[in-house]
Amino acid sequence: MQGWEVGALSLFIALPAIPGSAADVEHGKALYRTCVACHTERPDALGPSLKGVVGRKSAALDDFRYSNPMRRANLVWDEDNLRAYIQDPQAKVKGNRMPYGGLSDPKDIDDIIAYLKVLK
Amino acid sequence: MATRLKEVDAIMVGMGWTGSILARELTKAGLTVTGLERGEDLSPRENFGLPGIRDELRYSYRLELIQDPALETVTFRHRPSESALPMRRFGSFLPGNSVGGAANHWGGQHWRYLPSDHLTRSRIVGRYGANAIPDDMPIQDWAMTYDELEPYYDKFDKLCGVSGKAGNLRGERIEGGNIFEGPRSSEYPTPPLIMTESGLMFAKAAKDLGYHPFPQPASNASRPYVNSEGLTLGGCQYCGFCERNGCEANAKAGPQVCVLPVLRSEPKFSLRSRSWVSRLSYDKTAKKVTGVIFTDTRTGEEYEQPAGIVVLSAYVFGNISLLLNSGIGEPYDPVTQQGAVGKNYCYQLSRMGVTLFFEDKFFNPFMGSPGTQMVMDDFDGDNFDHSALGFLGGCKIQLGHADGRPISYRPVPPGTPRWGAKWKKETANWYQRAARITLSGSNYANRYNYIDLDPTYKDQLGRPLLRMTYNFVENDHKVADYCMRVALEIARAMKPTMMGPPALRQGDYDTVPYQSTHNTGGTIMGTDPKTSVVNRYLQAWAADNLFIMGASTFPQQPAYNPTGPVGALAYWSAEAIVTKYLKSPGPLVHA
Repeated sequence: MQGWEVGALSLFIALPAIPGSAADVEHGKALYRTCVACHTERPDALGPSLKGVVGRKSAALDDFRYSNPMRRANLVWDEDNLRAYIQDPQAKVKGNRMPYGGLSDPKDIDDIIAYLKVLK
Repeated sequence: MATRLKEVDAIMVGMGWTGSILARELTKAGLTVTGLERGEDLSPRENFGLPGIRDELRYSYRLELIQDPALETVTFRHRPSESALPMRRFGSFLPGNSVGGAANHWGGQHWRYLPSDHLTRSRIVGRYGANAIPDDMPIQDWAMTYDELEPYYDKFDKLCGVSGKAGNLRGERIEGGNIFEGPRSSEYPTPPLIMTESGLMFAKAAKDLGYHPFPQPASNASRPYVNSEGLTLGGCQYCGFCERNGCEANAKAGPQVCVLPVLRSEPKFSLRSRSWVSRLSYDKTAKKVTGVIFTDTRTGEEYEQPAGIVVLSAYVFGNISLLLNSGIGEPYDPVTQQGAVGKNYCYQLSRMGVTLFFEDKFFNPFMGSPGTQMVMDDFDGDNFDHSALGFLGGCKIQLGHADGRPISYRPVPPGTPRWGAKWKKETANWYQRAARITLSGSNYANRYNYIDLDPTYKDQLGRPLLRMTYNFVENDHKVADYCMRVALEIARAMKPTMMGPPALRQGDYDTVPYQSTHNTGGTIMGTDPKTSVVNRYLQAWAADNLFIMGASTFPQQPAYNPTGPVGALAYWSAEAIVTKYLKSPGPLVHA
C-alpha cells in the first residue's frame, strides 16, 4: 500500500509546501477536479474511471469504448508512462480522444500521480 | 385509435433546456413526469466525443444535429400579399432535434436581458412620449421585471457555470464588466475565458473612444465547475467547435451535461424519445388540457397520454403549432389585430459586421469559443438616447475569434476572386490576419410579422405547416445603419491595414444564409388575455393547466441571445407551479 504511505506523508508536509518536497496528494486532488468533468464513475461518463489506474494496463476497462490509438498503445500505467501522458497526451498516445492539452509543471504532474495512487 | 396510456402528473412536450429544467423541478416536488421528445436520444459520451465532433462538414453543412425539414418545416413569405413556400432546407435559423434540443448545438452566449428590456414599452413611452411607438409596432412590456426574475437568472447561471465578469454587483457598478447590466446578486460562477488578442485590441479601441467593453458572458465554463445539480462541468478547451457541435469537454452547458444525468436516474421521471406530439386534448369549456396525442416516429402508432399538467417546452415553432393545431387560444389576424396566437413573431438583426485585415498580426483564429469575444453594449436597447434618431432598439457590438474553422472561415480582402489560385493565395495569407466586428441587433414586433397555419402545405402527420410572414422593416434598417457607424468608428481606431465593405441589413430578409436561431414570440406573455397568450407565470390564459416555456413567450427580441432568459423563465415558472399552482390549481392571475 505504497499509496497510503505517500498520502500519510503528505499530511505532515503539505503545509507549508516545501520546494522539492515529496508529492502533495491534497494538491493533486485539487488539480484532479479538472479531470472529473469526464473521469467519473457514472455509466455515461465521457472518460474511463481512473480508480486504480496506477499499475493498470491501458484500455483495460470493459465498459468504456476506448479510441483505437489507445487500444493499440499497449502500455502499463506506471509512473513514467502516466507522467509522459499527463504532460502531453497527444505526444504519448497520438490520436487518442481525450480533449486535454496536458500539464506543464512537473510538480503538478507528480501531485496528480500521487493522488491517482490513492484513488482506489 | 390512439392507445391510451396511464395518466401522469405532468408532461413535457420537448426535452431541451426548458423541458429538462421543468421535469427536474416538478419531480423534485414529487410529481410523476413524462418527457416526450420528437428526436432521438443522445449521449455526450457517444455523440460528442473526439475526434468525430470536430467535423465541420458533418455538423455545419450537413446539419447533423438540426431538425430534419422533411419531417416538419415552416412555410415562408415576406408579406401577406404573397403565397408562402416551404423551407426545404433550414438556413437562416437551425432548430435542434433530439434530447437536449438546440442546446446541443448552441454556442453558449449567455445573457440576462437588460432591466429596460423587461419594460420595453413603458421605458420608450416614459422617455420619448406616448407617440414614440408607431401604430404598427405592437411593442409590449414583459410580464415581470428584471428584479423579480433576478433570482432565477442567478439559478440558471449556477446550473450552467457561466463564465464572465459582473458589471453590476448588487447595485455597485464595476468597470471591466458590463456596466449596463441589471444588478446581479452574485458574481459569475466562473471567471471570463482567456481573451483572444483580437478581442483585446477591440476592447482597447472601444475604451479609448469612451465606450465600455467587457468579456462575453458564456455558458462555456472557464474552469471545472460543480453546478447546482452537483454535476461537474469541464474547463473550456478553446477548440473552436462550439456552435453547431456538441462539446467534447463537458464545458458547454446544456441539458445533456447540466440536468439530464440526474434526471435520468430519477424514478419519477420517464423519457420517451422519438415521440412526436401532434396535438393537445383541450376542453374549451373547462379551460383545461387533458393530455397530449403523440405518434411514435418508428412505428407510426398513435398514443394518448393523459396528464394533469402539460408543459409546452418545444422550440418556438412547436409551441405555436400545437396551440394552433389544437384550437387553443385565438389565432392572430394582422388585419383586425385581434387574437394573440402567432402575434409578435420576432427575430434578430445579424449577419452584420465589417472585416479588418492586419498585415502584422497573427491571431490563431482556430482557438476560441463564443466567450472569447469582447462586447460593448453602449448602443443597445435603452442604453442610449434615441431622441431624433427615428428608430427604437439597438445593437451589441463585438469582436473576438470564436470558431476559425477550415471550411467556412476564409476571410479575404475586397476584390479577391471567389475561387482559383488567387483566392487560394489570399485565403492562406489572410486566415491568420483578419478579425471581424459583428453586430447583433434587437428586432421589435411589427404588425405584419406573424405566424399562422399554412393553407396548402402539411407535415408528415398531415397537420398544416406553420406559415411565417416576416420581413425586416424600416426600423430594423435604421438600427443597423446607426450601429454600423459606431462599429466603423471602432474599426478605424484599431488601425487595420485595410477593411472590407460593411455588411449592412439591407433589402428583404433572406432565409438562406445562417443568421441566428433566435426566433421569438408567437405565444407571448402579458397582462391582458386579448394581447397575450400566457400570464406572468407562463400559464396559458386559455387553459390553467397548460404552461408554455421558451422564447415564444418573449413579446419582442432585444439585441442579446435568448437562452439566458429562457432558462430563468423556466425556473420562475416551475416555482410558480410548485408553490402556487399545485396548492390551488386554477388561474394564477385573474385578468
